[in-house]
Amino acid sequence: MKTRDLSGALLSALSALALAADARAASFVGTVSLPDGRPAFGAMVSVFNAAKNQKQTVYTAADGSYAIVTPYAGRLDVRARLANYDDNLLTVEATQEQSSRLDLRLKDFADAQGASDALSASAHNARLQWKSAADRHDFVSQCNYCHQIGNSTTRAPRSHDAWLAVINKMEGYLAMVTRAQGNRFASALEKGLDGQPAKATHDYVATEELSRAKVEEWHLGDGFSFIHDMDVAADGKFYGTDEGHDKLWVLDPRTARVEAIDLPESHLPRGGLFSGMHLAIGIFTGSHGPHSMAQTSDGRIWITNALSSTLMSFDPANKQFKTYAVPGDALYPHTVRVDKHDVVWFTIVASNQIGRFDPKTEQMTVMRLPSNGFFRWLTDMLFPTLLRISSWFPDHALLLDFSHHRFLGYTVAAFPYGIDINPKDGSVWYAKLYANKIGRIDPKTMEVREYDTPMSGPRRPRFDRDGIFWIPAFDEGGLMRFDPASGRFETYKIPGVAPGEYETPYALNVYGPTGDVWMAANNSDRVIRFSPATKTFRNFPSPTRVSVFRDFSFTKDGRVCTSQSNLPAYAIEGAVPSYLCIDPTGGARDRAALGAATQAPASTGAAATGPT
Amino acid sequence: MNNVVTPGSRPTFAKIGAWLLVLSAIFMALLGWSASAYYVPATCLLLQAALLWRGRGFGLFKWIVLINQVSGIVLILVLWLGDGLGTTKLDVAGVALLLNLLCGGPLMALLGGAMLPALRKGKRLFQWFNPQFA
Repeated sequence: MKTRDLSGALLSALSALALAADARAASFVGTVSLPDGRPAFGAMVSVFNAAKNQKQTVYTAADGSYAIVTPYAGRLDVRARLANYDDNLLTVEATQEQSSRLDLRLKDFADAQGASDALSASAHNARLQWKSAADRHDFVSQCNYCHQIGNSTTRAPRSHDAWLAVINKMEGYLAMVTRAQGNRFASALEKGLDGQPAKATHDYVATEELSRAKVEEWHLGDGFSFIHDMDVAADGKFYGTDEGHDKLWVLDPRTARVEAIDLPESHLPRGGLFSGMHLAIGIFTGSHGPHSMAQTSDGRIWITNALSSTLMSFDPANKQFKTYAVPGDALYPHTVRVDKHDVVWFTIVASNQIGRFDPKTEQMTVMRLPSNGFFRWLTDMLFPTLLRISSWFPDHALLLDFSHHRFLGYTVAAFPYGIDINPKDGSVWYAKLYANKIGRIDPKTMEVREYDTPMSGPRRPRFDRDGIFWIPAFDEGGLMRFDPASGRFETYKIPGVAPGEYETPYALNVYGPTGDVWMAANNSDRVIRFSPATKTFRNFPSPTRVSVFRDFSFTKDGRVCTSQSNLPAYAIEGAVPSYLCIDPTGGARDRAALGAATQAPASTGAAATGPT
Repeated sequence: MNNVVTPGSRPTFAKIGAWLLVLSAIFMALLGWSASAYYVPATCLLLQAALLWRGRGFGLFKWIVLINQVSGIVLILVLWLGDGLGTTKLDVAGVALLLNLLCGGPLMALLGGAMLPALRKGKRLFQWFNPQFA
């Protein structure tokens, strides 16, 4: 095992200096106003550290006020941002042990192009005109699968043939569209993303609750890293799986120290069992494809390796890995969870199976799930064989020339995707993304019972403490509530940030103490919190544009954390992935800490070197 | 010479078989428009249709049907019962699948299964291909 400390001495020294010198280093208070002088409500004030690999953000209150305490010092960027207005970015020289007053005024955009460029992908892909609702539905399912369509790298004007080439490239990543759909998608993309500025007024619905929150971000990796899931471990560190480079990215949020740990090498070629597909050169350099994580009570972290079809344990105490082959024709182990007996359960998405592994006995069981129809049965039977044939001709994606999805579409697959354990009875539940079903497995008898979901695209669900199953409906921009006791569903449509725009909720998690459902809204750069008690959605706009969030996990002090994981990472604003945590009360704490200072009219300790 | 089968006396079984093979070839070609590998069985089916229509190339016709049948059966058996083969299971299945497609694919398997009994010595299709033995 090879360990590499990417943060380097500089970052450690800066962090240590900042923390040791003064917990209030580079604290700012002030107001943010609109160009006409009115207070800006819900504006983000972000402070970047000197190395520009971390930032912290608070949101303004209704009177435009903000207060932020950061551990940073030195030459810092401070940015005010609000939807529909141009950023105001200042560079300030922040000395330690003092807070600074900094009033910021947002700007009008210089031109329509500037306004368009600042809009989230949802505004751009809303311009696509669809001849049928079915096409739009399948486009959302397949083309928003692992990245935004409409961000700066995916909205460049292209000819019909160029879009066809892009779609063909995406099929090499297993996007499953028919040839006819590919043509229709290319037409819609050619006409809708024509290079003309998009026009939209986005409303993220600012609330006082938002002004009590604070966001922290830590950059890690580079523009070619594909950090999929991030998980908060028992040691308080954040662990992220780099599916492209076979690495674990470990961040200690207390010191901001980053460590990249290489997985042990496999005997497989680049791309693993998927070497026959057309995986992006530069992004996919490994063969394991670490994807999802869960921790057992002994501290070991269990990793599903999607490309090598292995389950891997990682012991943070000694940094040792151990690899377990998933037997049979298993393809793409996906989401992993641990039950109360420390048994590891995981979905195997491309071969329609569920894996069960007992770390005590090291026994693994793989169970095939119901196929849900003849064509899905055909896929279950032949997909592994076709992938093997493809692997004889690496990087040619030969599978596409054989697969019946080319004329029947993605519904020829079932795709068991997310999985979770019901805390009430220990039963194991999964969501089938393409078959639009959820299923229950009795952990003792392994008996399976499936239910049709009322909304399509059930992706990565979670249970709350009361045994209610919360399911994001990716394809329809919805949230589903399922009560296993009654067998009844309730559905909620996620509000867009502008009329005509849709949402793509990828994953969610439920915070135990409050029952709040935190979910990814990957089309419009926001995290959404749904409160079951009031049945209301609240937005937490991401300080970083092009936000594609994956699994959510919580710190012991209640922060909501996830990974910035657009594929490719270089499309993310700042061009690198990051870990992001929302502290729902962090902003309020900063206000309280700087309470006296917020009353002070004059600024101290900071010199603005940018325009105001 | 009375037993010689001429094109004018093409048996109905051969006519129906040839047309079914042509229809199968067209269907496969339509699939091939979306997934180009299906052009291979389409071509094979068309070849078989031509051989059957003209009553020529009995050996080739028969071997294609036989290989198609055997590879199809091997594919099913290996996928069903082949876990003991370990990692070679999918290699064997892959070769069987490619052979099956090369020899007409699943529609050839269905039609060939129906034709095989008639290809035996003394049966209708055997006589059509081999009029000298009629």
